[in-house]
Amino acid sequence: MRDVYIVGTGIHPWMGFSEQVFADFAAVAVDGALKDANVEWHKIQSIMAGIFIYGGNAGHLSGQYLESIFGETGIPVVNVYNACATGSAAIRMAYNSVAAGETDTALAFGADVSPKGFLTAKSDNAVQDRDVIRWKMGGMPNPIYWALECRKRMAKYDTTEEDLALVKVLMSEYGAKNPHARFKKTYSVEEVLNSVYVCDPLRLYEICPVSTGAAAVIVTADRELIDKADHPVKINATTMGSAMYGDPTIRISALSCPSVPEAPMLSESYSASRQAYEKSGIGPEDIDVLELPDNSSWHYLVYLETCGFCKEGEADRMLRDGLTRIGGKLPVNPSGGFSSHGEALSAQALWQVIECANQLRGRCGDRQVEGAKVAMAQTYGLMGNSGTTIMSI
Amino acid sequence: MENMANKVARIPDLVDWSTGEVRLMSAKCNSCGTYFFPREHYQHRPGCSREGVENVLLPVKGKLASYTIQYYPCPPPFKTEKKITPYGIGLVEFEQEKIQVAGIITDTDLDSLEIGMEMETTTLTMFTNDEKQQVVTWAFAAVK
Ligand SMILES: [Zn+2]
Repeated sequence: MRDVYIVGTGIHPWMGFSEQVFADFAAVAVDGALKDANVEWHKIQSIMAGIFIYGGNAGHLSGQYLESIFGETGIPVVNVYNACATGSAAIRMAYNSVAAGETDTALAFGADVSPKGFLTAKSDNAVQDRDVIRWKMGGMPNPIYWALECRKRMAKYDTTEEDLALVKVLMSEYGAKNPHARFKKTYSVEEVLNSVYVCDPLRLYEICPVSTGAAAVIVTADRELIDKADHPVKINATTMGSAMYGDPTIRISALSCPSVPEAPMLSESYSASRQAYEKSGIGPEDIDVLELPDNSSWHYLVYLETCGFCKEGEADRMLRDGLTRIGGKLPVNPSGGFSSHGEALSAQALWQVIECANQLRGRCGDRQVEGAKVAMAQTYGLMGNSGTTIMSI
Repeated sequence: MENMANKVARIPDLVDWSTGEVRLMSAKCNSCGTYFFPREHYQHRPGCSREGVENVLLPVKGKLASYTIQYYPCPPPFKTEKKITPYGIGLVEFEQEKIQVAGIITDTDLDSLEIGMEMETTTLTMFTNDEKQQVVTWAFAAVK
């Protein structure tokens, strides 16, 4: 396998609902990546596209639509969906294509336009798609799942409502400094604790909404492109994990879960991160900056444990002691996290990788983690999807 | 018990009241021992032969393993005639079967909810259909 580098990244800043089509957002991100890498379009030898599930035929073939905007060149274009880990799947395929020598330079991108109104079931066949059951019979929007797990955590460990609020306080402090962020207002612990419950114990400001956004990454093993790039970022490993039998987590869209654990919680993310540690030879203790999926304040805490940054039940202490702040032992989400951005489904995993790459390239201004050499982006997608990317400079 | 004859589940094969008790319709794999809910949510142990999956009913009663209170109306296709927010959602554990099942909490003081409390399976009427039948889902209530 060859060494693979990120040489160009592009983002369309995160925002709310838009009447614009997804391909317009994708084009902005891809254009940004091409300019950042200073490469011509014809150098791109394959495209790994995250699909836009609400975009019909165009969204399901997002790679072809994107390619036609920039000019069709006959290269392999593959469209993938792995829920909120879709971008992880795209960059992993781009990496594998280049590392294996199939292509020298590959583009991974994802773009998502927040659906107007609510996310809900996408079919009407309850036998085939149990998502139909949770919407029609369960009355269970996504945050319910996180609240059920968060309550279990609070009963098992000493996680408090103040801890959950503190996550938002930190994320808002960093989001305010990030030009790509959708939410730029800062909050105090009191303000978060005064926000309404959405599903007790999780409050409005402790849950991320859906957003519009796009992200693109160009990876290469082409020496010429690496040499002319501004601070090329080496990908040490980029992996995907699925769930393991006996994982006690109740997964979004499921109506049941095992009561006797035979696997770690969030086993898909446990699996993705352990694969990445093994492949890269880099462990949690080596990571200088971490982007984790803070879909809710509960995720922020549990992911530190799932990915091995502390033992189970110790994340609250890490947070309280300031270890996860910029300047702390392990700066977490200096981007402001999903809390400051919201989820743009097929783009968000790539956005996390780009935030990490920007830290390693020293491009983060007021939220820069000084001297960051190794970074990790960790994703989480519903129904057992996760990806980990470890990068270094 | 209310007149169950005039009730219909909004989606079939999830909740049964034909025995006079309300019970969830599960399936058990006799090869790997795993219980599934809903029945088609197969989650076999890796390497299982997947032979001998049979339909079973879960016990009426279980213990509350976790809960939350939903303060906002659930968007469509969820539908109730009357406003039910705020409503509880419970994760009820059936110990013998090693499974926890999620469902709406009904007929229970939400302030009294506590992990470990005994819950029983029941139905919740969501709305009345054109045939004047009560359309129900499964639900859990604190054992009184
Ligand atoms: Zn089995």
